[in-house]
Amino acid sequence: MFTQIPSNTEGLSFGFKLFQGMQEDNLSYIYRGLFTQTITDSIISLAENNLDSTGETSKVKKRVFSIMVECLQNITRHQTVEGEEYNDSNIQGIFMIQQKIDSYFITSGNVVSNIAIPKLRSQLEKINSLEQDELKGYYKQILEDGSISDRGGAGLGLIEMARKSGNKLTFDFSKVNDDTSYFYLHTCISKELEASTPIIVNLDNIKSLHQLANEEEIVLVFNGVLNQESLINLLSIIEGQMRGRLDIKKKVYNIMVEMLQNIVKHAAKIEEDTVVGNPGIFYISSKDNSYSLCTGNYIKNKNVEELKSKLEHVNSLKGDEIELFYSMRLLNFEIDNSKEAGLGVIDLRMKSGNNLEYSFSKVNDDISFFTLQVSLK
Amino acid sequence: MEAFFYKKTEETPSIILDPERNTFEIAYRSLPEDANGFYEPVLKWLGEYYEHPLPKINFVFFFEYFNTSSAKQIAKILLFLEKLSHKSEVTVLWKYGKNDADMLSTGIRYSKSLSLNFQFIPV
Repeated sequence: MFTQIPSNTEGLSFGFKLFQGMQEDNLSYIYRGLFTQTITDSIISLAENNLDSTGETSKVKKRVFSIMVECLQNITRHQTVEGEEYNDSNIQGIFMIQQKIDSYFITSGNVVSNIAIPKLRSQLEKINSLEQDELKGYYKQILEDGSISDRGGAGLGLIEMARKSGNKLTFDFSKVNDDTSYFYLHTCISKELEASTPIIVNLDNIKSLHQLANEEEIVLVFNGVLNQESLINLLSIIEGQMRGRLDIKKKVYNIMVEMLQNIVKHAAKIEEDTVVGNPGIFYISSKDNSYSLCTGNYIKNKNVEELKSKLEHVNSLKGDEIELFYSMRLLNFEIDNSKEAGLGVIDLRMKSGNNLEYSFSKVNDDISFFTLQVSLK
Repeated sequence: MEAFFYKKTEETPSIILDPERNTFEIAYRSLPEDANGFYEPVLKWLGEYYEHPLPKINFVFFFEYFNTSSAKQIAKILLFLEKLSHKSEVTVLWKYGKNDADMLSTGIRYSKSLSLNFQFIPV
C-alpha cells in the first residue's frame, strides 16, 4: 500500500521502524509501564473517545469497557507483589486494544508470581470449559462459597470477562525469572454476540511485541482518531508515567502537544467523514534516558513540498538563528493560519535541541503518509 | 467596567481582569485547540478597558505551560499592553516556577521584542 520515499531517515530509530510497520494494522493502542489510577482512568477515557468517534453502538461500548476495566484492575492488582512495586523497566506490564472489523481484542501482559500460576491456570481452564449459560451459575457458586482471595480475585473478574466477551479466554505464561512470570491474557469481543466464533489465537506475536516494547522502552503507541480530547488523555497518561527530571518532563509534554495538535489541526483524512479529529499514530519511547516521540499522519500531496521545505529550513538553522526566526514569526501577525504551523515546527527544533527526522510515503495520487520523529536527549 | 473571569481547565488558563480590585492575571496552562477563538473575548475586553484605564497596573503572567498558538495570542496581549503603557503605567510581572528555565527564557524573549516594563519573578 505504501511506496517508500525516504527522506532524511538516517537517524530514525528501530522503534520508528516498528511504528511504520504498524501503519496497516488496525491497532488502536499499546501502553506499557506502571498502571496508576490516573493512568488507568485516562486509558479508559481515551478508548471512550475513540469508540465515540467511530460511532460504536452503546451495547458494544459497554462490553468493551467492562472488559477493559477488569483487565486493567487485573494488572494493577498484580503489579505489586508483597508490597513491592516492579520498578524494573524490564518487567513492566503491557495493555493493548486492537480494533478489527467485527471484533475488539483486548490483551494484557503483567507480572505474576510463579507460585500463583497453578491456581490461575486452573481457574482459566475451568472457565474455558464452561458454556456461556453455565458461567453465570459458576459465578454465583463462587460468590456463595466465599472463597474470595485476599487479592480480591478468585477469578470473578475472569468469569466476567468470559461472559461479557462471549468468547473463550486465551492465555499464556512466559517465565521472567525464578520468582515471576508474565501472564498474558487475551480477550476477543465480538460485536455481534451471536456471531461469535471460537478464535484460536497464538500469543507469540503478542509476546514478541512485548519483548520489543521492553527492549525499546516504549511507553505508548496510539493509533486512532486524534482530537483535542484524545490529546488531553494521552498527555495525562504520559504525565503520570514519566519519572525523572522535571525539565525533561516539561519538554516532552511540550513536544507532545505541538506534534499532536499539528495532526488535530492540519492532518488530512484518507476519506471524508463526520468524525471529529484526524487519524494519526503516536509513539513514545524512553530508551537510555533519551525520549523519542514520533507521529504519523496523512497529508495532501499538494502540501508535501511546502512542509518539506519548512522542515528543511528549520533544520538548517544554527544556534541563535533558530531563536531569531522564532521571535520573528511570533510577532508577525500577517502570517495566515496555515503558515502558523511553522511556529510549532521551530518550537520542536528548539525544545529538542535536535534536528527533526521525517519521511513522506506516497499512498495514492491524492495523499501521502508523513512521519515525524523528535528526539530529546 | 465589569470584571472578566475564566476558571482554569485542563487545557485553558485561569484569567482575572478586574479593574475594581486592580488585579490582572493569566495563569496555569494554555493549550486550547483554537487559541484564536479562546483569546478573542480577552482581547475584546482589553480593547474596551483601553477607553478608561487605571493610572497604574501590574499585569501578571504565571504560566506553567503554553503551546505555540497560545504564544501568538499572548504576544497580542503583550502588544496591547505596550500600547496601553502610553496611557497608563504598566508593569508585566512574568512569574515562573523557580526551576522552569524555559518559561523564564520565553518571557525574556517577549521582553526583548517589546518596549514594556518586565519584572521576572521566580516562584
